[in-house]
Amino acid sequence: MYMGLGRSLVCAGILIVLHAGFSSAQHRTYLRLSELPYEGLPVDITAQCVIGFLMSCYGITRVAGEFKDISATSDMNRRTMDSLNNVPSFYHFAHRGRAIHSVIY
Amino acid sequence: NKTWPEIRDKLREWRKDHVRCSEKIVELGEYALAHYSSHLGNEKWAVYEQLCVAALDLCPGKMKVVNRCIQKLAEQFPSSLRVSMLEGLKSEYLKKWDDALEMYNSMIEYEPTFPAPYKRKVSIYKAQGKIPEAVSELNTYLDTFSCDHESWLELTDLYIGQQCYKQALFCVEELLLQHPHNHLFHQRYADILHTLGGKENLEASCKYYCKAAELNSSNVRALYGVLMSSSTLASIGKISAKVKSDHQTLAAWACDMIEEYYKAQRVDKSVIVETASVLDKLSLK
Repeated sequence: MYMGLGRSLVCAGILIVLHAGFSSAQHRTYLRLSELPYEGLPVDITAQCVIGFLMSCYGITRVAGEFKDISATSDMNRRTMDSLNNVPSFYHFAHRGRAIHSVIY
Repeated sequence: NKTWPEIRDKLREWRKDHVRCSEKIVELGEYALAHYSSHLGNEKWAVYEQLCVAALDLCPGKMKVVNRCIQKLAEQFPSSLRVSMLEGLKSEYLKKWDDALEMYNSMIEYEPTFPAPYKRKVSIYKAQGKIPEAVSELNTYLDTFSCDHESWLELTDLYIGQQCYKQALFCVEELLLQHPHNHLFHQRYADILHTLGGKENLEASCKYYCKAAELNSSNVRALYGVLMSSSTLASIGKISAKVKSDHQTLAAWACDMIEEYYKAQRVDKSVIVETASVLDKLSLK
């Protein structure tokens, strides 16, 4: 599978957040074993969590694909009458192409 | 040639926007299915369907392609209604109207809520040139499935072809109800009103052209429509000076917008000079 920058960032970000989770659990166990009071998580674990989250957010926006314009009508403005008038459910084949392609082949 | 993402995006764009460039579709579609079949994954089946319909436009030369597509789709989706529709399309191309009608009628009996066979029956009448029957068939269909904007669009075209402009107006009104943001529908409504003519219709058409130009400032047909309807309104009948000057201001504004648009196109000077010389040669001296 093609691993672009977006996908690898999302994977890495999720792994970093998971690792921060395990570190904080380990930290609590350590505090309990050494009978120290719990005064909140250390700065590096919090920082790791936030950085991992931001990385996955950015990666997801890359994976999500092209962004559309905010204006509701901008998508419609690019279409022309030529393509709008074609209704595939009503296509029929009794047109000049029949005659042209029988001559060519 | 082209890279894989370009090919895939082009095919998707043509599928979404209903572009009927059959030769290009067949060329790119066959290339994609031959070389990038694994990249396509599940999109493969949509491409087969797209290729089948496009190849029917280029028959009789591409009949092998059509048969191959139908065979592959039937293998993957046995007893599928959509694949049977493709078989029906092929019968229609071969002008086997009775076979096709029989197939569509049996599909309607089997699954009355599937809209495609009804529409194909209308297309059979269209292909045979029996437009009044097609119109009545389509009206019967729209009594049941009145939210189908494609069918309203098709009915508009059929009525315009028969010069029944009042009925065509009704169909475009249905379209406008469902898609009020579509500048092309407003422009279409204005076109039909302008064709009908008469003072009230021209005023209404001017309003709708303005709405279309408001929704999409690069819709040059709408701007031309504003120009034409407002300049006609400024010159016909007995109108007060204020109304006349209003119309003239509007016409002048439309003129300026059109000029701006064409200036912004930045066409090569040499093209303009060439075109002018060709047009000169065409004039009678």
